[in-house]
Amino acid sequence: MTIQPIWSPVALSTMVEPSSSTGAVVNGAELVVWRDSSGKAHVWEDRCPHRGMRMSFGFVRGDHLACLYHGWQYDTAGQCRHIPAHPQLEVPQTIRMQTFATAERNGLIWAGATADVDPALLPAEIPGLVPVRSLYADCTVAKVMATLGATPLPGSDDAPALETISENYLSVSSGPLRLFVAIQTMGPDKVALHLMTNQGAPIAALARYAQPLRLSLETPLAEVA
Amino acid sequence: MAEVAFVFSGDLVQASFRQFALHRAARLALAIDFGASGERFVDVTVAGDDALIDMFEMACSLGPYDCIIHDVARRDVSPSNRN
Repeated sequence: MTIQPIWSPVALSTMVEPSSSTGAVVNGAELVVWRDSSGKAHVWEDRCPHRGMRMSFGFVRGDHLACLYHGWQYDTAGQCRHIPAHPQLEVPQTIRMQTFATAERNGLIWAGATADVDPALLPAEIPGLVPVRSLYADCTVAKVMATLGATPLPGSDDAPALETISENYLSVSSGPLRLFVAIQTMGPDKVALHLMTNQGAPIAALARYAQPLRLSLETPLAEVA
Repeated sequence: MAEVAFVFSGDLVQASFRQFALHRAARLALAIDFGASGERFVDVTVAGDDALIDMFEMACSLGPYDCIIHDVARRDVSPSNRN
């Protein structure tokens, strides 16, 4: 399994606490995003090799992620290290998770398309960013671009300026206010947007701006409802 | 290490069951050899760690979604080192 694009945002860094796990979807690929007890983030296929249980339902024990179903434990490299029903078993190398390159940049956790993606292909580092929120919408990326370009930022009546930083990372600005949007394509008509801004910007106002933004993104569905 | 011969019988889709068994054996680091097979049975011999052979038996007794295993016959080919 590979995921596209080369680097995809999967969560705001602040949304995944140390020793916890959560799920994410990139172009239909189901992933588990988890942090070990030292705080290092990992992204794997969200499927235990044993019985297919979602690893995002699992729990973290030190630097191992354990499956909720039978407790099989995997180390940070994805190798199974412990099977509770057979504690003496030397687990073969063949029992391992599919892992993806994982990086943190600009307050986001990014997943690589494979295990060996070049970190140099990540968007450039922008210092001093703070998280606003994530939002999920049933729409295309094209709709996201059109809607972001047409929706004034808080405190402005004019359409904002859009600047593409990388294929799934852009800035939306209006005067001194700048919103950074990382687009996680979950499927053809499903996206997650992870919003960041500069320190000192009105975070609450930007979070409120995201509410009608989401409605606008889903306008056809909202009208039917 | 042990070697065990299984006969899985039931409502089988041969290609599907074979692919499933091969996949599970590879996952569990077991050597696998297929013997005779028919519409309602397949003969499989695996070799490897005792515990992993037990896991293989359990997985194949559940089988892929399009097969229903009614019975599993198990015969030790090589003695196990199990304590």
